[in-house]
Amino acid sequence: MKHKTLKTVLYIVLALLGVVTVFPFVWMVLSSFKTNNEIQSIVQTLLPQEAIVDNYLNLQQTFDFLRYFLNSIFIAVAVTVIVIYTSCLCGYVLGKYQFKGKNVIFGFVMMTMMVPWSVTIIPRYTMFMEAGLQDTYISLILPVMVSGFGIFMMKQNMESIPDELIEAARMDGSNEFQTFHKLVLPLCKNGISAIAIFQFLWVWEDYLWPYLMIDSEKKQLLAVGLTLFNGRYSTDYGGLFAATTISILPVIIVYVIFQKRFVAGVAAGAVKG
Amino acid sequence: MKRLLAICLSFILLLSLAGCAGRDSEADTAAGGVQDTQADKGLDVMGENVTYDPNHLVNNGDPISIDWWVWASEDMFRSIAEAYEEIHPNVTINVINNPWDGFFTKLPLALQREEEGPTLFNVHNSYENLLLNYMEPYDIDTEELTADYPSASTHLMDGKIYYMDYGLSTGMYYYNKDLWEEAGLTDDDIPKTWDEFIEVAQKLTKFDENGNMIQAGYNYNNYFNSTVIGLNYQFGDNLFSADGKTSLVDSDGMKEAVSFLIDLYEKYQVGDKDFGTNYDQSFYQGQSAIVFAWGFFVGNLAANAPDINYGTFEIPTSDGGTPYAYYRYNGESTPGINKNATDAQKEVAQDFIRFFLASDEVQIRLSAEGGLIPAKTALMEAPELKDTPIVRTVGPHIDRYIWPGAMPSTVENNMKIAGEDILYNGKDAADALKTAADTIDIDLANADFTSSESLYAYYEE
Amino acid sequence: MFKRRPLQSKSEIWMRNIAMGFLIIYMTIFLIVPVIIVVAGSFHQWNPLNQTYNWIGLDNYIRMFSYPTFWQSMANTVIFCVVVVIFRVLLGLAIAYALNSKLMKHKTLFRTIFYMPTVTPLVAVAYVWKIMYNPQFGLIDNIFGLDINWLYDSRFALIALMVMTIWKDFGYAVILFLSGLLSLPSDCYESASIDGANAWQTFRYITLPLLKPTMLFVVVTSIISYLQAYVPVLVMTTGGPGTSTYLSSYLVYDQAFKQYNFGFASAISLFILVLTAIFTVISFKVTGANEN
Repeated sequence: MKHKTLKTVLYIVLALLGVVTVFPFVWMVLSSFKTNNEIQSIVQTLLPQEAIVDNYLNLQQTFDFLRYFLNSIFIAVAVTVIVIYTSCLCGYVLGKYQFKGKNVIFGFVMMTMMVPWSVTIIPRYTMFMEAGLQDTYISLILPVMVSGFGIFMMKQNMESIPDELIEAARMDGSNEFQTFHKLVLPLCKNGISAIAIFQFLWVWEDYLWPYLMIDSEKKQLLAVGLTLFNGRYSTDYGGLFAATTISILPVIIVYVIFQKRFVAGVAAGAVKG
Repeated sequence: MKRLLAICLSFILLLSLAGCAGRDSEADTAAGGVQDTQADKGLDVMGENVTYDPNHLVNNGDPISIDWWVWASEDMFRSIAEAYEEIHPNVTINVINNPWDGFFTKLPLALQREEEGPTLFNVHNSYENLLLNYMEPYDIDTEELTADYPSASTHLMDGKIYYMDYGLSTGMYYYNKDLWEEAGLTDDDIPKTWDEFIEVAQKLTKFDENGNMIQAGYNYNNYFNSTVIGLNYQFGDNLFSADGKTSLVDSDGMKEAVSFLIDLYEKYQVGDKDFGTNYDQSFYQGQSAIVFAWGFFVGNLAANAPDINYGTFEIPTSDGGTPYAYYRYNGESTPGINKNATDAQKEVAQDFIRFFLASDEVQIRLSAEGGLIPAKTALMEAPELKDTPIVRTVGPHIDRYIWPGAMPSTVENNMKIAGEDILYNGKDAADALKTAADTIDIDLANADFTSSESLYAYYEE
Repeated sequence: MFKRRPLQSKSEIWMRNIAMGFLIIYMTIFLIVPVIIVVAGSFHQWNPLNQTYNWIGLDNYIRMFSYPTFWQSMANTVIFCVVVVIFRVLLGLAIAYALNSKLMKHKTLFRTIFYMPTVTPLVAVAYVWKIMYNPQFGLIDNIFGLDINWLYDSRFALIALMVMTIWKDFGYAVILFLSGLLSLPSDCYESASIDGANAWQTFRYITLPLLKPTMLFVVVTSIISYLQAYVPVLVMTTGGPGTSTYLSSYLVYDQAFKQYNFGFASAISLFILVLTAIFTVISFKVTGANEN
């Protein structure tokens, strides 16, 4: 009996929190079907009085959102794949090998996580300027190829792989590169999923760096595109709602696909730290 | 599931790659105009002092493409570029729009890429200090320039012109004619004095039964700083010291101007700092009856709120008579030329600038759509411009407006902070303005700025 | 576990050298060199946009320490960081604990929902919240029947930013604590219930100490990321009203990329680095001290 009330209370509280969490998204999606006058009118309703899709249609006409979208996906996927690989490689070496200086290197990697973007962005900006790499995608990929966070997560993940497995592979005569690619990588699916989600999101929402580096409108990314849109059509709230809806949906989809592995991956990486 | 995902991902990758590839080929075709072989196009020579003879080849008629950066009115600039392309079919001018926020962070960066940066770029004189290093002087006789455009003389640097004004702009009041009528007001009620202004604004302010504002008579939210800078002249002080090196934003005149604007909200309740957080959007929505804005607002209204039926009136004064100065004005600048561009690009850019300045058609369009008083004096009487809101409203008194100089952006930025501190944070006006003045003075010293206020005809008054 | 053997095969040595060599070179180029450039730049009047680079000694630091906005931004940053981290940890722990309880079903659904804001791009979310805070047509004032100009009232503006950030980020803590709870050994609980401990005692004396590594991870990564927060300010308030929502990283952005005082911005960013280090050490110390 006592359990039952407790259970009901728990459900109600969590459900309320869930509603609070989801409500802004619902409001955003519903508002993207409203006219601008309705959005800004003093009398407000949740549902659109007359639902329109013009906001989405106009978006493509006035602003090449599809292109920004594809650019962002391209960069986010490329960076995510590279980071996963470098994290796994460094994580494997740091997690499974014994050698002198290992702890120094690992400690150093941990320290780099503390360096704020505000310290590195100014010199990075001057470095890339001098190298003439502005307005290229290399400038977006190069500085984020290695992630201290990713190496840390993968090192923990790697340590949980039994040594016997690796030893057995070595006995079978496979060299380290084969072991790493054929045995170790597939064993780290969970960790990889966790990094994939984090990294994809970080690239997807990164704003300042692509904003500084990319000049051509055609190469621009979605997060910057959103601010460009707002700068140019600051009065078009309906368009802004439609644009934000478009930029939020893909990450949610990626997350829903990976989420099961993701939780397990985070558990293996972060929690045992 | 996994395979599906892999297929999806590779599909997306492919798509994006295709996107990239598509982009490049597009850029290539854009660069390839047509070969122009006909020097004599049978067109008339344009202009009076600065002239443009279209009957020649640029870049030997070979195809060439240049970029032109703008931060607003993309369509207008594009159509000007197209008018030029029509004369010279071998030239392609890509008009690239970068929004105002960040324009001057990105532009110097792009210019450091030398010939890969834009060959032409729009300039705002408050960022002159940042851009001069990258600019090539106009290849046009300065006497011809000043004969057509008298204000060009204020932009002479070592006898050369790097950029100048194509139009002059200033602030004026915009009112919603429908709301005006609804409140029982007529054209006779257009205010000449601040007292009359307060009276009409109060009539235009509406509250609901709970006392909440539902319509503002006057709204300056998010525009306080731009409004108050220049209002100080009416209250007895200049914006900069006599030597033009330090700011007087903490002068008594500025303090009075600030407290006057605050009083409009707090004492006379013709608006509210929390009603309509952006003056312009509130005006578009018909929720604010009067707003103060510069000439460019004409274009914004046409683009964002074509249904609003509006009129304009000049900034009032305390007694309705002629003040020391009504307000400040500023010039809208002609494009700059990238000095690190290739010789071919520069040749095209110089040729384009000559066309830009000599063509009355271009200049009329710029002033009409940009809400400007033409800097080319011969066009003051042009039928297309005689009746534009700004010429009608402030044209008769434009000599009573002051140009404070190419005022660095620090003035507006720090006055924004001061304004919000006073209006929203309840900070003492004297303290807030003192803080602003101190920060502005450090930046002015770094920027090596000198005000042009002393050039004002009635400066001695 | 058997003892690890030292590196043997050639391919292992190759692998190590490639990975570590790459890592060291990369970190040097993208972290050590930049930090050196910033330290040098902080002693200069520096604007790469018009190629100014003049030695001015300690002037940037002197200006920084006498600049009221700097101190205001530091105070704001500390408040922002502490409040958001506390809420994130408390909310995250409470929800994770509830979700982990045997009474709950639909765990996956709830987990997915709570994590949703975290996976959405901050820039987009900030725009949506900016409109939600509008005093005329915003969702928040309308739902609660309030008349508050959230982003323009210095009493509420920073709170508004914190509320948005907590909403956006608490899911991260939920997931981490949930993973932590799932990996706890169940025999501890059994012995606890045999000893007759009540729910609170079990939580306080068994669960919480076991969650310490997770706690440390959440707190440290949160502190690091919140000391660097600037996007909410950039999108929602641009530091206003006045300077009341300046966060230190926004000040760096503003000074470097709006006012073009790169040297001054470098000095401030180095101060943030020091602050991050201090905060990180403190959180290690606090958690470590609890262990006894």
